[in-house]
Amino acid sequence: MKEQTSGQQRAPDNQSYESGKTSGGIYGPAASRTAWRDLLAIGIAFLVLAPIISVNRVTDFMIFCIFAMSFDLMYGYMGRLSFGHLLFLGTGAYASGLFIKYFSSNPLLAMLVGILAACLLGMGIGLIMVRATGACFSLMALAFNQIGFFLVLSPLRGITGGEDGFGIHAQPLGFLNFASKNTMFVVVLGGILLTFYLLKRLTLSPYGIMIRSIKEDETRVRFLGYNTYFYKWLTFVVASSVAGFAGVLSALNYNYVNPNVMDVHQNVGVVFACLIGGAGNMYGAIIGGVAYMMISNYLAIYIHRWEMFLGFSLLIIVFRFRKGIWGSLQGLGQYMRGPRSVQVQ
Amino acid sequence: MLYTVLFGFSIGAILYFVSIGLSLTFGTMRVINFAHTLTYSIGVYMLITFIPAVRSFIPSAALAILAVIPISYVIERFVIRRLYGESLDYTFIATFAVTLIGVDSIKWIWGVNPYPLSDPLGTYLQIGTLTFPIYRVIIILIAVILFFALELFFRKTIVGKIVIAALEDVDGVRCLGVRVDKYFAIVFILGSALAGLGGVLYAPISAVHPYMGLSVLLLAFAVVIVGGMGNLRGTFISAFSLGMVMAVTARYWSQGAETMVFIVMAGVLCFRPIDI
Repeated sequence: MKEQTSGQQRAPDNQSYESGKTSGGIYGPAASRTAWRDLLAIGIAFLVLAPIISVNRVTDFMIFCIFAMSFDLMYGYMGRLSFGHLLFLGTGAYASGLFIKYFSSNPLLAMLVGILAACLLGMGIGLIMVRATGACFSLMALAFNQIGFFLVLSPLRGITGGEDGFGIHAQPLGFLNFASKNTMFVVVLGGILLTFYLLKRLTLSPYGIMIRSIKEDETRVRFLGYNTYFYKWLTFVVASSVAGFAGVLSALNYNYVNPNVMDVHQNVGVVFACLIGGAGNMYGAIIGGVAYMMISNYLAIYIHRWEMFLGFSLLIIVFRFRKGIWGSLQGLGQYMRGPRSVQVQ
Repeated sequence: MLYTVLFGFSIGAILYFVSIGLSLTFGTMRVINFAHTLTYSIGVYMLITFIPAVRSFIPSAALAILAVIPISYVIERFVIRRLYGESLDYTFIATFAVTLIGVDSIKWIWGVNPYPLSDPLGTYLQIGTLTFPIYRVIIILIAVILFFALELFFRKTIVGKIVIAALEDVDGVRCLGVRVDKYFAIVFILGSALAGLGGVLYAPISAVHPYMGLSVLLLAFAVVIVGGMGNLRGTFISAFSLGMVMAVTARYWSQGAETMVFIVMAGVLCFRPIDI
């Protein structure tokens, strides 16, 4: 039974792995050439989207996409479903917010502090988390998220402002004025492109193949002599740092921080985004992130019962549409290219 | 201090009602059921609906639990059964989707505002100079009776024996020609009805709102993990000990009660990770 399910999961991964191979090596110069094309495509897509929707909203979308990518690294690539990933987003947001409020209003330093805080927390929690797999992993992440949410809400009320949160004011830094919507848009666009490039390089590297192998069968990887705990820990730390980066950006974007940024119940959003876009692919994470934000921003206006809609669409995804939008597009692309490029599975 | 013990035991009893189903569903079907406490909240809302019509607590509680059964059958038939043998991620997400749908339906039908419900007995037991609310004592008694009833059910009846065998080895039972799916459905409905019972009993001493199931669910997960997935006696013991942890923490630091449970759970997981 287990073989069968892992076989089902393996199919889309093999495709992306193979298609990476056919376009000239898994990693190396060809991969970085295609990376530039990818970056251009994403940048143009968001620049086109900005005037259509609004600069404000697209900034918001992009921050969520960064978060979705960090989640995808852990879920789509390594196969560890975390139901508490918002903890790291919240840590980033709170650390940078508190830094701006109490120490210095330099936004770049705050950014560094936020990412560092999420990274350090990831290092600590990661040591415990790597020991767990499957449902245990999800539940432990959930428990840690709950503890973090509680800490912010109650015992640290004095400095975090409890339920109300607190407002922050970042000082303008030369031409970098974070109060301006357009500057924020450019900064976040830079952030998403940087994150995409780094994560793409990371997942195409031998390390990326390693974490995919861990997803397939951890025991076999261990038999090959690799220390899988270390790689899992590293992935956890990278994913939490990127999530912290998204948190910093959201704090700077909204100019306030409140406990909603790490509310346990919001975690379903990023899981939904990853699945609808197609898990195990950075493009999928971005498409899914935009799709989820569109649904939650616009559908809620027209359909009052939008949580129910989310529930039913999640059920449909799980039972009928596992590959997600990006996976289906890839399948379509392969179909269009004709029978010669169909790979033997 | 005696109050704290009583308080802890009554919370433990409620946690026990809610966790049995979760533990059994995981042990037999290998499905982590996020939608489990949906029946808990639906039971409470049914109780609220029935009380004005029936005007007495016990019959309306019984009706509420009966009303939960068809709903849990629908969930089992259309979602849980399809998830059998799937990877855990998908079962997680699908059952969470069921929770979203259920909570939204509750909000649709009954509204978002919390309902007040009062202690149905309102009488106190006098022992010397101490007074105990009799309702909490009854909850604890029901839990203990239920524990022994379930022990009997799983040791003496054929349905129970098949389920216990399936907890050990599902394929082995199937090879004997037993239609395990049917028994799993029975177990699932039993677990959901017990969760409904927990909700109905706990509602008068807590707040009623659409998200009440989710907070209990996290606690029930903690109970099941500490007690061991699919281990009935372990669930009983861990439910009562975590109830005590909550009560003792609440005595000294009232906001920290629920979080302390998760800290205990994280500690248990550190020393005894479960491979699932």
